[in-house]
Amino acid sequence: MIAADLAENIPTVLRETLASEAARVIAEYRLPGLIVADDAGVPIAVVPGSQLLAVILPQYVREDPALAHVFGERDADELCAKLNDTTIGALLDAQKLVAKELPSVLPDDTVLEVAAVMVAEHMPLIVVRGEDGTYHGAVMLSRALAAIAARAGQDSELMRRRLERDLLPPPPPSATGPAGAGSP
Amino acid sequence: MSVTAYLAIGVFAVTYVLIATERIHRVAAALGGAAAMVLIGAARGHTVFFSQDTGVDWNVIFLLLGMMIIVGVLRQTGVFEFLAIWAAQRSGARPFRMMVLLCLITAGASALLDNVTTVLLIAPVTLLVADRLGLNPVPFLLAEAMASNIGGTATLIGDPPNIIIASRAGLSFNDFLVNLGPIVVLLLVVFLALAWVLWGRHLRVDPARAEALMSLRGADAITDRRLLGRLVVILVLVLAGFVTHSLHHIEPSLVALLGAGAAVLVSRLDHAVYLDDVEWETLVFFAGLFVMVGALVEEGVIGQLASSVTAAVDGRHLLATQGVLVGSAALSGLVDNIPYVATMSPLVQDLVGHSTTMTPQRGALWWALALGADLGGNATAVGASANVVILGIARRNGSPISFWSFTKYGLVVTAVTVAVCVPYLWLRYFVLG
Repeated sequence: MIAADLAENIPTVLRETLASEAARVIAEYRLPGLIVADDAGVPIAVVPGSQLLAVILPQYVREDPALAHVFGERDADELCAKLNDTTIGALLDAQKLVAKELPSVLPDDTVLEVAAVMVAEHMPLIVVRGEDGTYHGAVMLSRALAAIAARAGQDSELMRRRLERDLLPPPPPSATGPAGAGSP
Repeated sequence: MSVTAYLAIGVFAVTYVLIATERIHRVAAALGGAAAMVLIGAARGHTVFFSQDTGVDWNVIFLLLGMMIIVGVLRQTGVFEFLAIWAAQRSGARPFRMMVLLCLITAGASALLDNVTTVLLIAPVTLLVADRLGLNPVPFLLAEAMASNIGGTATLIGDPPNIIIASRAGLSFNDFLVNLGPIVVLLLVVFLALAWVLWGRHLRVDPARAEALMSLRGADAITDRRLLGRLVVILVLVLAGFVTHSLHHIEPSLVALLGAGAAVLVSRLDHAVYLDDVEWETLVFFAGLFVMVGALVEEGVIGQLASSVTAAVDGRHLLATQGVLVGSAALSGLVDNIPYVATMSPLVQDLVGHSTTMTPQRGALWWALALGADLGGNATAVGASANVVILGIARRNGSPISFWSFTKYGLVVTAVTVAVCVPYLWLRYFVLG
């Protein structure tokens, strides 16, 4: 199995997407991270999902995690609502989200090459691009591990389904970016 | 003086300039200076490792290490966060009252533990309560940094310069408490009055936001009540060990190490957790400084300097005391007070003589050095480690404090607190002493 086989079409977000909407997309599709696309729907950056979690935490809680204990439910509601006040672009500009410049592999790269890039970049989500820059989709950690587990002799209905069915249907041939690109 | 002595002075001067200007990291500068002292023959193995006067002062290094480990374990319990939130809620969301309580907690903790860790733990809670109340956190952070430096002055373990002075002068925990405790209490009262003038009278809070502060669950900050109880017992025993030194004659460094061992045993924490709080850089920096200053002592440079100063003082101890106080405060605002005190201590020791034969007038020089060096740390943003830590936390949390915005308040606080010490030293050691 090569990278092109592992690549699937996954939802992307735009710079203008609200942070709360981006969180919803991650939750709905169980994504390990966000692919940020430009206005034409072409992916420009990848952000690990955990960074979006950090956005709701004030810096002082990140410096002293013990302070998270002192917040009640009402305080938590207030902090979570902050995701409605900002966009992915604003968070990237303020460096509250630190995007990785598209960690990518070539379509004919092997599973080992996919694993090597994921490990080196500490990214559970990488894109597959041709040498001419053509976007072929993204490889998620779960699918890469499904392929690896299959090679190790593991087998199950769920695992086979994960390898055979893409998260989203493939984009129409005329589209420049992946189906579902842009604000979901 | 010999050629080696002149070379040692050169090495020392270059290293000091490198430390003061921060052209290279202070640890690299101190270790480089120590290495140069060995290469020119001014420092030798048997003195570096086995002489308290001319080598590494292991009492200082291990006292610091022991206290750092105790704090490293204690901070895991969340007690600092609990205390700060309790104080804020106790103030009824009245900003100046809140500032007073937070400053008193900071000063008290800085006297018993180390002030860098204290501000490192109090500052995030301060940002939290200020955020809840919609207050600008900067005045609170500034006040806490300064309260920490004042509070740390009170005890032998409160500020690293005091540990060096204690070891060099043979002064006990009780000596510090008796001689510096009363003036520090007075200084805190004066500082809080100043804090009202500088910041307190401008602080306003929307009463409607008080509820946001009161809803914080401070008690939930404590992660392990049982461990906290045990650590409080250990801390009390360690302090009792310091206070009763004259009865058991166990060095403070050993008392701290025993306490650290007990804290590690009862907490069963992974070593990576409590060792993470040990400032290894500071310990190595101290070692390098001791070797350099020891080389100057060994080569007779300090002795000669002390003879010249003694001749210049010519029995005018009051003038010398006030000169050391004001001069130390001025210099400590400009350069790190640790190398300053490490250098001055052997000089003052030569002037004062041994602690057993020390008259109150001569002994006043040690207290002037401690007060000047500790309080001078408030003068500028780089005068003390606690200030640097506060500035870093403020910047990361979106409330940057510039060098000058710290310094314009710091200079006022230093000038006033040092001015209060002038009549104290005169009255206590020259009129009543």
